[in-house]
Amino acid sequence: MPAGKHKSRSMRRVYTKLPGSKVVIHYKKRKPSKTECAVCGAPLHGVPRERPYKMQNMAKTKKRPSRPYGGFLCSKCMRAKLKEKNV
Amino acid sequence: MFEIGRLCLKIAGRDAGLKCIVIDKLNDNYVLIDGQTRRRKCNVKHLEPLDKVLKVKKGLGHEDVVKELKKEGIEVKEKTKRIKKAKKTEEAKTEEKPEPKKEIPEKQERPELKKEKPAAKPKEEAKKAEAKPKKTVVKKAKAKPKAKKTTAKAKTTKK
Repeated sequence: MPAGKHKSRSMRRVYTKLPGSKVVIHYKKRKPSKTECAVCGAPLHGVPRERPYKMQNMAKTKKRPSRPYGGFLCSKCMRAKLKEKNV
Repeated sequence: MFEIGRLCLKIAGRDAGLKCIVIDKLNDNYVLIDGQTRRRKCNVKHLEPLDKVLKVKKGLGHEDVVKELKKEGIEVKEKTKRIKKAKKTEEAKTEEKPEPKKEIPEKQERPELKKEKPAAKPKEEAKKAEAKPKKTVVKKAKAKPKAKKTTAKAKTTKK
């Protein structure tokens, strides 16, 4: 039986196999939601979905695509925005 | 549409938002570009054609492209060359190696000087420290009784 605090599903359950072939449940915090484009709301590629403590240790280049508005707009909306600005 | 000399806007990749000229046509889908962007081949889908077409020769050099763009009011920021930095570091390394050998005998001499200096400083500081408080104490001691006397005199005069 899980402990009382683990009965609610607010923590995610990770099944890990111990060296003695015993399977144990580890309780971990859930990941944050996927990042979305600020204009159209489409999920962004190249932006990792991790908890802040892992994002903190990542390089800046691994956290967003290296283009203007990278990690904020999707590529389609970025192109539209650049055309508006310059054409 | 993408003829030689066409001014374009790059709309994909890390050079997105920068302006460039078509220098050469490699294929139906690919062209060679240069300008604010890096000099590279580029898919036509990643370019947005602008209104102007410059009169330019096929396969123009980078410096000439920069001049042509300057005439149109587009400035190209040139990056610092890495080759120069590498040379500096090599020179610095060669210069640094002989220096530490010279420093070692100097360091042996220094401890003697250091021993003398700290011994001399504390005495001077101690003297200064002793001299200053005495003056202040005397002044305060003198100042207070005077004030009291004046008040006392004032009281007597009032009476």
